[in-house]
Amino acid sequence: MRIIIVGAGEVGYHIAKKLSEEDQDVVVIDRDPAKIRRINENLDVQTFLGSGTSPRMLRDAGIEEAELLVAATDSDEANLVACLLARHLNRYVVKVARVKNQEFVREEDLFKKDLLGIDLIINTRAMMVETVLRLMEVPGASEVIDFVGGKVKLVSFLITPESPLAGKALSEIRCLGGNFLVGAIVRGHRILIPGGRDTIQPRDLVYFVSRAGELAEALGALQGGVLEMKNVMIIGAGDTGMAIAKALDERRLPVKLIDQDRTRCKEAATGLDRVVVIRGDGTDRELLREENAGDMDLLISVTGDEESNVLISLLGKDLGAKKTITRVSKLSYMPVVSALGLDTVINPRMTAVREILHYIRKGRIISVAPLREEQAEAMEAEALETSDIVNVPLSKVRFPRGAIVGAVIRGEEIIIPRGSTVIRPRDRLIIFASQKVIPQLEKLLTVKLEYFG
Amino acid sequence: MNFPLVARLVAVLCLFIGISMAFPLAVSLHFDEAPGPLLWSLVITCVAGGAVWMWTRDVEDTHLSHRDGVTVVALGWATAGLAATLPYLFAGVVPTFTDAYFESVSGFTTTGASILTQVEGLPRGLLLWRAQTQWLGGMGIIVLSVAILPFLGVGGMQLYKAETPSPVVDKLTPRIADTAAALWKVYIFLTFLEVFLLVAGDMSVYDAVCHAFTTLPTGGFSTRNASVGAYGSAYIEYVIVLFMFLAGVSFSLHYRLATGNWRAFLGDPELRVYFWITVVLVLLVTADVAWSVYGGIGEAFRRALFQVVSVMTTTGYATADFNKWPVFSQLILFFCMFFGCMAGSTGGGLKIMRLILLARHAYLEIFRIIHPHATTVVKFGSQPVPQAIMRSVWGFFLLYLAIFVLAAAALTALGLDMVSALTAAATALGNVGPGLGSVGPMENFAAVPAAGKWILIVCMLLGRLEIYTILVLFMPAFWRK
Repeated sequence: MRIIIVGAGEVGYHIAKKLSEEDQDVVVIDRDPAKIRRINENLDVQTFLGSGTSPRMLRDAGIEEAELLVAATDSDEANLVACLLARHLNRYVVKVARVKNQEFVREEDLFKKDLLGIDLIINTRAMMVETVLRLMEVPGASEVIDFVGGKVKLVSFLITPESPLAGKALSEIRCLGGNFLVGAIVRGHRILIPGGRDTIQPRDLVYFVSRAGELAEALGALQGGVLEMKNVMIIGAGDTGMAIAKALDERRLPVKLIDQDRTRCKEAATGLDRVVVIRGDGTDRELLREENAGDMDLLISVTGDEESNVLISLLGKDLGAKKTITRVSKLSYMPVVSALGLDTVINPRMTAVREILHYIRKGRIISVAPLREEQAEAMEAEALETSDIVNVPLSKVRFPRGAIVGAVIRGEEIIIPRGSTVIRPRDRLIIFASQKVIPQLEKLLTVKLEYFG
Repeated sequence: MNFPLVARLVAVLCLFIGISMAFPLAVSLHFDEAPGPLLWSLVITCVAGGAVWMWTRDVEDTHLSHRDGVTVVALGWATAGLAATLPYLFAGVVPTFTDAYFESVSGFTTTGASILTQVEGLPRGLLLWRAQTQWLGGMGIIVLSVAILPFLGVGGMQLYKAETPSPVVDKLTPRIADTAAALWKVYIFLTFLEVFLLVAGDMSVYDAVCHAFTTLPTGGFSTRNASVGAYGSAYIEYVIVLFMFLAGVSFSLHYRLATGNWRAFLGDPELRVYFWITVVLVLLVTADVAWSVYGGIGEAFRRALFQVVSVMTTTGYATADFNKWPVFSQLILFFCMFFGCMAGSTGGGLKIMRLILLARHAYLEIFRIIHPHATTVVKFGSQPVPQAIMRSVWGFFLLYLAIFVLAAAALTALGLDMVSALTAAATALGNVGPGLGSVGPMENFAAVPAAGKWILIVCMLLGRLEIYTILVLFMPAFWRK
């Protein structure tokens, strides 16, 4: 399948990386020679130096034979124009555009149906707000991903040295009660797909699946108590900070919003009702102490500066904040953030990449969530009658090492599998797998990663 | 440096070379020759490659850095050269290892300089193997493995860049493996076409295959002592001239043509210059030799055309002993050894593209003396050429000449006369084949002293892998962590 990606920024780069690793024919267009060089050095894709809003460039890139166009530049207008041209040059191409302007997002139908026929609009800001809210519903989690329309949740959380799980073998964890299954462990740079004998260590990021209804119970068992999200501090009143503050304001939660910029503070104070707006430097320890950062249940750092966000969260933790959410856009920092002790990191680009991949893969493998650094995936797949995995107990199935079934969904029922569980045809499975074994897994499931159904 | 992976890739290459010996082996069985030399070479090469392959099967880190890529290519070529010596040594047709290595490197680098005094009468399987080394080396053994080993991914691009003889590397398709495969397909198609046309001209199938195997890589090994001249057929010569010329055209352009992009093909600025240089030089040489050597335009044109195209495309076939030509024509042929053909073709030399860029750059420098405040851009066609490429082209030009001078000086120190030393160095570095004087078209390299042969071996590898890939290995910084 030929895929054209306009914009070789972080989002474009990672989508290109992911898709080229899956043997798709990827073409990337960007105006910046440095970005093009970076792609050429690291990825097996074809590159064109030029503007994605040039019809000639799109033709050179093979838009006529392309099946998918992803417009992921930093400019909304460029993305929309690229989609417009693409629609004209190839009526059947599927178009995905990244759009930031809230105005555009609100008029979604205009761009989707009436004007441009864009198939998917990605708005990272809205997605981030949603992520933060979802994380607050599942206190303690670092990441929450929905499967089967939200009936099953994939949750990750960071193991602190005090956690009752630290040092325990996976086989012991079952005795703690709670109906869940640990599917993957991120330890530093590596992703383990664990077996019963592996132990959990402090600073691990643990991924598990659970039924939506039993999530609180499972988390309680895992963390030795349920956290409550009451007091929230947001640092950075940019677009994201404001959007989060607004959402929390509507829920009547006590929120403090800190920003350095006078006009932004003023705007925030005008636009929000209950939120306490404070003007000051978020990296100032005294200010944080004065505003009782230590008593906060949640501290959200979403300033425009990556490095400051990390430091603010660390400061907050040091002062005693129970939980932090940190925005980090640079994907190269991702492997070290858990090691630093930051529990939750939200990454707008990663979110965008995930959303796009999720959208374009609509075969038997229904949804896919790349986990940290994309070395492993959680995927939802249907068990086919022809496959070797059905009608035998799971313990007898010859699963590749590095893959594990996290949940079985049969109609309305959600089963957290054990060795004796038998998979029946048409069951839906949630499988954790490291990238390497995905081809073997596809063979076992007798499916191929398919696109667009 | 990821040594296990480097070793593994070199092992794969070794396996390829080993397996490819099956074809000459089959031919030698067909002609009822003793299969021993080729059979043993095949077994030894495959076992050695296979052993390293098995030994490194646990390699987990498949990331290939730029440095690893360069190392794989350089080591891979050295190893391929080594493997290819085995048939010569087992058959006992060359006296020493140095000679065998010279012959096999001359093969893979598509030079075509030989130390064999008598090729007629050698086992046919062996001669086919000799031609086949050129055929494999022409499009590139590494490019072939990139096409066949999909797991290389972006690592394939590193290898491809290190092997392809061009200052800029074209990626024709989204995936590098597809690009490599596309180029090989074009190459194979042209080879078949030439075999067909030669057979149509009453050449035996065996000879046709051997010559097609050495025309398309612009190699120049022949199965006759008197090279292509031995056939005495104008038709065969013109067919070979056509294919030598085509082999000197960038294979990316051939691919564009094959995909129906006529305009890109005909409008290519490098192709035009290549064509016109060839035409002008052929006419000059024709005029020079018409009455001084041959008794008329007809014969002179036929010889001059063949010889100029043969040397300029760095093939090195001969239909005339240009040692006996006037000095002016000899000088033109000597310069042709430096010009080479188009970047991205199978030929050697400096490459027309580099010459064009250098000429434009030099012109702009003069222009700036007239208009000191002019903003100037070196352009190739309508595309601006990035500074980085200009730098690499200048560096290449300088290194090429420096290596030529040093090699020629060393050869004279070893006792060669001036004309022989200069042309031997130029012909080896440009991957042409014959030189002038004692290494002329009707002579060979057997008489060059062993040390001189090693100098020429290094020159051939430097020329084929475009200098940087080899020279960088000698930088201490390359090996530091």
